[in-house]
Amino acid sequence: MKAPPASAETPTSATPLVYVPEMGRGWWLAKRHYFLYIVREFTALPLALWLLWFLVEIQRASNGPKGYYPHSSPGFVAFSVIVLGFAVYHSYTFLSLAGVIIHIKGVPARLIVVSQFALWLVASVVIAAVLIGFAR
Amino acid sequence: MNLEATRQQRPAFAHLVWWFLFAQGGVIAAILIPVHVLVQGILGPLGIVPVVDRHYDTWVRVLSNPLVKLYLLVLIVLPFFHFAHRLRYLLVDFGVPAAKSVPAQVVFYGGAVVVAVVTIWVVLTTAPMSFG
Repeated sequence: MKAPPASAETPTSATPLVYVPEMGRGWWLAKRHYFLYIVREFTALPLALWLLWFLVEIQRASNGPKGYYPHSSPGFVAFSVIVLGFAVYHSYTFLSLAGVIIHIKGVPARLIVVSQFALWLVASVVIAAVLIGFAR
Repeated sequence: MNLEATRQQRPAFAHLVWWFLFAQGGVIAAILIPVHVLVQGILGPLGIVPVVDRHYDTWVRVLSNPLVKLYLLVLIVLPFFHFAHRLRYLLVDFGVPAAKSVPAQVVFYGGAVVVAVVTIWVVLTTAPMSFG
């Protein structure tokens, strides 16, 4: 590799230009694609809240048989329905990206994506079986 | 200007760590969370299927298993590093440049670390460990 000329490393002007991107407040509403991107990023919030609320339920088990009660309110069910929508959207978008992230020589990207979705399905079935199977 | 120079020379190790946690947390969240929300958040409370967390005795029996404790730790802790990264960049995308700053990183990733510590504490203190 050729060494760059010395002048390339020293800034030519005393005050460096700073690029300031222009973004209006509602840029993410301008295109469907932008909106879906923001929804994908936003999924983190409902998922985080649901997990924290789940942690509360785990903690309640330390209250003893009389003090324990699971989340049962209609509000919690409604919240879970909304969260499930975001959760599935996160799964769909994230696992679809696997073909871009994981590269294995000779294995087509499509197959990698399919394997990720298969893993999701298998894990879901196993977890559901445990959650339901150990109940009474 | 001096600050700029040191910043450019520093290897992006921190970036690598956060990115790795971001990716792993994303995979864990994608593969594990929907079924928990469906079964424990909807089907169980509605009484459509019996679920392990509906009764104290079955819930504690499962929670006392060390493998379940480890699983819950992975299920809850790793996604939070993913969430921290996403929510920080959500703020950046909404035009809050301060979300890129080091204090913002401390708040977001520190928040994930706090959740990790609390989760470890909850998981270790709720049901005494046993293989039964």
